[in-house]
Amino acid sequence: MNWLSRQFTTRVIVLIPIAIALNIVLGFITQTVLRLPIYLDSIGTILVGVLAGPIAGAATGAATNLIWQFTGITPNIGPFFLTAAVIGFLAGLWGYLGIFRPRPASGTQLVMAAAIAAGIVVLLVVPIIGNPTYLDPDLGGFPEWAVPAAIIIAILAALAVAAFIYVRRDLAGLWVALAGALTGIVAAIVSAPIAAYVFGGVTGSGTDVIVAALRQGGADVFQAALGQGFFSDPIDKVITSFVVFVLLAGLSRRLVSRFPLGDRLGPTSEPMPGSSADN
Amino acid sequence: MTAGAHPRGLPDFVARTESGPYRDLAPTTRLVLALSMALFAFVVRGWTGPLLVLALVVLLAWLARVRRGFVPYLLATLPFVISVLLINTFLYPDATDVMFTIGPVSATASGFTDAVQTALRVVAFALSVALFALTTPTNLLVADLERRGLGRRPAFVLGAAVGLVPRLLRQAREIAEAQRARGLDTESTIWRRARGVVPLAGPLVVGALSDVEDRSMALEARAFSAPGRRTVLRTQPEGAFQRAARWGLVVATAAVVVASVAGYLRWLP
Repeated sequence: MNWLSRQFTTRVIVLIPIAIALNIVLGFITQTVLRLPIYLDSIGTILVGVLAGPIAGAATGAATNLIWQFTGITPNIGPFFLTAAVIGFLAGLWGYLGIFRPRPASGTQLVMAAAIAAGIVVLLVVPIIGNPTYLDPDLGGFPEWAVPAAIIIAILAALAVAAFIYVRRDLAGLWVALAGALTGIVAAIVSAPIAAYVFGGVTGSGTDVIVAALRQGGADVFQAALGQGFFSDPIDKVITSFVVFVLLAGLSRRLVSRFPLGDRLGPTSEPMPGSSADN
Repeated sequence: MTAGAHPRGLPDFVARTESGPYRDLAPTTRLVLALSMALFAFVVRGWTGPLLVLALVVLLAWLARVRRGFVPYLLATLPFVISVLLINTFLYPDATDVMFTIGPVSATASGFTDAVQTALRVVAFALSVALFALTTPTNLLVADLERRGLGRRPAFVLGAAVGLVPRLLRQAREIAEAQRARGLDTESTIWRRARGVVPLAGPLVVGALSDVEDRSMALEARAFSAPGRRTVLRTQPEGAFQRAARWGLVVATAAVVVASVAGYLRWLP
């Protein structure tokens, strides 16, 4: 019980509505106004999770989608509150593990981390390229531009992550990329049944382009929703995680350290419980 | 989220509150009703669920004299409706009953049926929530929920979040104008607009977060984390009928969900 109430200090209670409003405003602009095939509606959720803990993160995520539905600007966002809750919960775990702590490094260590991070990004894309749903000629095949497009996106993403690590001289980029990608995969698995069962596999945002392409390739409603999720979610959550990381680095140390998990976010040299294995 | 635009342009607190069979229900009762209708539209598949809920929404809206308020909510469902009609009509898996063919894709009757049902379902869902949002000012809902035992922390989160969304949207517009005045291009090709994301989102997020400290001190100064319950200034009398109706709705909705999952509702059209 103590563990639970520690996640909801007054400062966290004040941060949660701000995080919810940020999620809704940024998500609405990305999905509905710009119609990009990503979401960007979990920056606030991940921020609260990392600063306060899993339950606070999950509550922020779930409340975001329910309140978003209430505002009426996006008619079908409410049922995805489960996905948002899972994203917030995972962010809280990453916060406990100290994933978002800056880890200054140099020399070989830095080059290695950049290389590993780039490798992970490529590994994530291989299942997309090798997935029979996308490629099997018996299923009708995926449009031919898809594989080169996926490869180009993967190379660009890998380069961006590696450059981030190298330029900022910070190993944390590796962990942030990994945590974001994992969050994205879990989010895709949780949202696919909701999209398929509740909404006929369609969401009314920019991601529908991908759903249409997969259906054209012979996927059924669920496979297409899952395939779209595996495409959009890891990219989206890696971007979001890096945004949160940069934000946290930009906030004053004084403000960050006053949050429940603030001591796991500062650049200290002594390892914290749970993060010792990371160094 | 509602009632900002009164017919004569009067602010909410001056205007006479509307009454009627629907509007006289307690906000919590209306919330339970909206959630029950939304769930009903989703779990009762086929035509029955969505059409019944739509009919009920129209009836309640007529009773509550909500008309033009629905328009923005209906417009908001358009992207989804268009998307689902196109994708499910033309790209419905394993459908063979082709109606007509355009280029490489064929429209199928079963796909079209499913698309219309899904579209109706989402419109019914969106409008049942919209009816509730249009007739219930957030402050009344929060006060009512708090009176029924919602803690002050969830109550604050709910009230503050709903109030912050329009404020942040306004702030985003101000930041965009300020950056445009400094030469930021926000209206040409997608690449140029994408370059503007950081100068737009950055100040918005950092500005919002810098308020955290001030707001939490303001709350602490008002004994936010004090133990014990707050005393309610105004209490509303409420008959046993609404309490019974709420519980009845919850039980009935749960029964429908279970029946639908167990497959007892397959006979419905």
